[in-house]
Amino acid sequence: MNKIKDSDIKHLGVLARIGIDEAIAKELAPQLMDILDYVSRLQSIDTSGVEITSQVTGLVGIWREDEVKPSLISREELLSNTLETEGGYIKVRKVL
Amino acid sequence: MTNQLPLRSTINPNYIVDIGIECHVQLKTNSKLFCGCSNDAREAEPNTLICPICLGMPGTLPVLNKAAVELAIRAGLALNAEIASDTKFDRKNYFYPDLPKGYQITQYDEPIVGQGEIAVHMSDSSFKVGITRAHLEEDAGKLTHPEGVDYSLVDLNRAGTPLLEIVSEPDIHSPAEAKAYTQELYMRMLYAGVSDVDLYHGNMRFDVNVSVRKKDSKTLGTRSETKNLNSFRSVEKAAEYEINRQIELLEKGEKIVQETRGYDDSTGKTISQRSKEEAMDYRYFKEPDLPPLQIAEQMKQAIAKNSPIMVGDIRAKLKEADLSQTIITAILNQPKLADLQQDVIATNSQYAKPVANWLSGEVLRIVGEEGFNWDKFQLDSDRLVALAQMVEVGDLSSTNAKIVLSAMITTDTPPEDIAKDKGLIQMSDTNQLGTIVDQVIAANPQAVKDVESGEAKAIGFLVGQVMKESKGQANPQMVQEMLKSKLK
Amino acid sequence: MSESKSEYLDLPIPELVAKVRNQEVTAEFLVNQSLELIKANQDYHAILDVNQSALDQAKAIDKAIADGETLGVLSGVPFIAKDNFLTKNTKTTAASKMLDNFQAPYQASAIDKLEAAGAIMVAKANLDEFAHGSSTENSAYGPTKNPHDSSKVPGGSSGGSAAAVALNITPFALGTDTGGSIRLPASFCGVVGYKPTYGLVSRYGVIAMASSTDVIGPITRSVSDSAYVLDVLAGQDVNDSTTIKRQDSYLINQDGNKKRDLKGIKFGIIKEHLEMIEDKDVLANIKAAIDKLKAAGADIKEVSLSNSEASLPVYYILAPAEISSNLARYDGVKYGFSSKQAKDLLDTYLLSRGSGFGSESIRRILTGTYVLSSGYQDAYYKQAQKVRSLIVKEYEDIFADVDFLIGPTAATTAFDLGAKPDPISMYKSDYMTIAANLAGIPAISIPSGNVGNLPVGLQLQGPQGQDKQLLDVAHVIGELI
Ligand SMILES: [Mg+2]
Ligand SMILES: [Zn+2]
Repeated sequence: MNKIKDSDIKHLGVLARIGIDEAIAKELAPQLMDILDYVSRLQSIDTSGVEITSQVTGLVGIWREDEVKPSLISREELLSNTLETEGGYIKVRKVL
Repeated sequence: MTNQLPLRSTINPNYIVDIGIECHVQLKTNSKLFCGCSNDAREAEPNTLICPICLGMPGTLPVLNKAAVELAIRAGLALNAEIASDTKFDRKNYFYPDLPKGYQITQYDEPIVGQGEIAVHMSDSSFKVGITRAHLEEDAGKLTHPEGVDYSLVDLNRAGTPLLEIVSEPDIHSPAEAKAYTQELYMRMLYAGVSDVDLYHGNMRFDVNVSVRKKDSKTLGTRSETKNLNSFRSVEKAAEYEINRQIELLEKGEKIVQETRGYDDSTGKTISQRSKEEAMDYRYFKEPDLPPLQIAEQMKQAIAKNSPIMVGDIRAKLKEADLSQTIITAILNQPKLADLQQDVIATNSQYAKPVANWLSGEVLRIVGEEGFNWDKFQLDSDRLVALAQMVEVGDLSSTNAKIVLSAMITTDTPPEDIAKDKGLIQMSDTNQLGTIVDQVIAANPQAVKDVESGEAKAIGFLVGQVMKESKGQANPQMVQEMLKSKLK
Repeated sequence: MSESKSEYLDLPIPELVAKVRNQEVTAEFLVNQSLELIKANQDYHAILDVNQSALDQAKAIDKAIADGETLGVLSGVPFIAKDNFLTKNTKTTAASKMLDNFQAPYQASAIDKLEAAGAIMVAKANLDEFAHGSSTENSAYGPTKNPHDSSKVPGGSSGGSAAAVALNITPFALGTDTGGSIRLPASFCGVVGYKPTYGLVSRYGVIAMASSTDVIGPITRSVSDSAYVLDVLAGQDVNDSTTIKRQDSYLINQDGNKKRDLKGIKFGIIKEHLEMIEDKDVLANIKAAIDKLKAAGADIKEVSLSNSEASLPVYYILAPAEISSNLARYDGVKYGFSSKQAKDLLDTYLLSRGSGFGSESIRRILTGTYVLSSGYQDAYYKQAQKVRSLIVKEYEDIFADVDFLIGPTAATTAFDLGAKPDPISMYKSDYMTIAANLAGIPAISIPSGNVGNLPVGLQLQGPQGQDKQLLDVAHVIGELI
């Protein structure tokens, strides 16, 4: 069975960039373990020789012609939901 | 040319070097890979070539640019590589402020271009490099770190630009070969017409994977990956530094850590950035927003038919004209010069060599100058041949020919007119020269005596005096012969 | 609400449009009526934001009609969109703190199409955060309550949309269905919920949940209204590379159908679904409905979807995987919640995402991250994709044998608010709906009477791309039961 420890939750949290404190990690670990146990039952199904399905439309080769179609939305509007900007740039905290 | 020999000689001969290179080439489409924004972000103000898709806004979806697929196929053909019949896109998941969606759309296990092999030419040799694969992917935006502040700035103009990532086998065995390989890629992408190959603007960026092993070892050593090199020289320098760093460690009995490194151009050193233990888990999976592609044989053939002549074919032609590898490589750097050289070979092959010397020297120097405007380039093969003929008959000295040549590059004036205009036509008329020679003999009795007593050096002085009197227009060879016969 | 008002909003959509076009009633009146009903029904908490421009849009339509212009097939019809559609005149929150004040700079294709046809969006409906849920309890703004019993959930995740239609606030609402999110709330609220074939309606401008199963569809009071709205929405969109060709028309031919019976039409009942019905009265209701079909000449047989049981685990691997990637863009950098406490970039990510997302979204992101991570991807993600192939194949085989599938939409009627605190029991609410999403086939939930005061939903499924055929037969059955 899937043993999910608090430290595994923290590791997943770092991968997924979700800050998880001790208390929440303790709460999430058994929940995730239950979910993974539940979905693990698939592993007993024989899928040898079966191809994967990642889309169901059967579409292939959908593309567009190479034409420049600039956005009609101004930079100001596009960045209107941005917390901080400077000279048209998006401001972010320094990368450590 | 950089000093290739000294570089090689600094490497400990008890080791074999194995280098594989990943090269990101920006494809020259009009619009970005997955949206209609312009693909030319060079001069644009920050975040002005963006749309909701570039910004990774909620609800946005990618729509593939057909031209990027075609250019990738053309590039694949230029790498003598297989073109996939079935290919698809995948998501590479990681967080960085220049990656708006939190994933990059790339190709993981079914790249559009499969295995290939190319010959790489150096001045005195050539070698083969296997191409592992090449795949289409979107570029990230640009992150800048202003000095003295505690924040960074994101510009997404470049986000979504189409890239072809070309991955080589570890078939490269020295820094000089690494440099030559990157130059060969440059050439091939340039001639295939798939990229502007503007290195200054990052159109080609290289990641160099270096490992070393003992001479008797059959397995590759642990490698480091030095990322984001943007010039041939930095590829060479970084490879050299890495090789020596790794050998030094091994000699001390230490182990090489598999890691990602950066290169500092100012010090010529590489710096550790991230070790494998902290390596990313990219959680690749198939991009559900884009149906897979099937590249029909018909499409491949149509692209092959419409592709420009491959650089390999041009190289072969230049080689047939008996030009040196160094000169060929130099000329190939500029397709327009290569065209001229081919014209001359086709029409007046006897002048192939002098023209090649001019193109690879004076002309390449001038067109390579910062800010040279190619719109003004007017050099043509007819006038190059005319210029070569003037030198051949002695109307022009080889030194003056270069002066005329540089004036020809941005005009359509015939070389004769330029030479006359600048007073560079050599005086080859025996009467005229004879008068000046006689005057000089009369005016320099001491030197005449010296010549007559067998002091050979003195004749040079007299030639110089004739040149001075003729204001540099005398044909020096003729002058020398005249002096010799008169003073015998 | 007064008689004269509901007199109009109760009408079938084509009749309502006819009255707007012949100026018997104004769009402004209809919009006002919807806005009043939103106020009157605030306690159900179906609505998150109201479109302040709706009245202006209505007046513009009235003026155009008065000027003699011929307007679109939805002229003056008010509607509500689930709050995961990007819309220009309201906030778009996905019921998440992450997008608390998000003002979309562009609009979803589906909304554009409806507006171009003359429809007026009056409000945005509540949902489970990022559509992660089956009860609309996972909304950062509090749950929606079931209009039939406010101690019950409306189902989810399109619970606000279904409740709004059940409350007659608008004749139709838009929902999204990734694993049952249109059909389950339609079933619980006693309305019609239509999940089209995957790719029939553009997803452009709809906040992605699981890209490979997300579909957009209408919630209405009748099958023919669903067909009417779908006829506007369906078709390829250059902005969505996964959209497919539409059929000529989805409209129900009212006259033709009066004569139509179910003779010779083969229906399959998924044995495994029937067995899973928890509530005896629901089972009796479904059986009674099936008996009516038989009486109308339908050819009914039991079929087996042996991978039924696998469909939930497949979904709860694939959907979280796609969710973990689709929600990576909410990083506190370009838009959305951004923690002001962050000292460096990693902090920005961890704090913004850690407190911007609710607990169910976090569970799904972590589950998805796990099943995609190296060392686990083959056992979980790839295996689930393979079992998905088995399910697709099994459906193909079934539809080679029968024309449509019929059965329950859910194992129960609406359950109590707070009744399913643990994730897995909540996930199991989607037991009957999820396989259709994995196969990409069309499915519909239609009201099948009540058990007590709570509605029961009858689910019909059809072969991929045969939306028209499914709607036609659902219409006949809807009239029958
Ligand atoms: Mg790459
Ligand atoms: Zn764009």
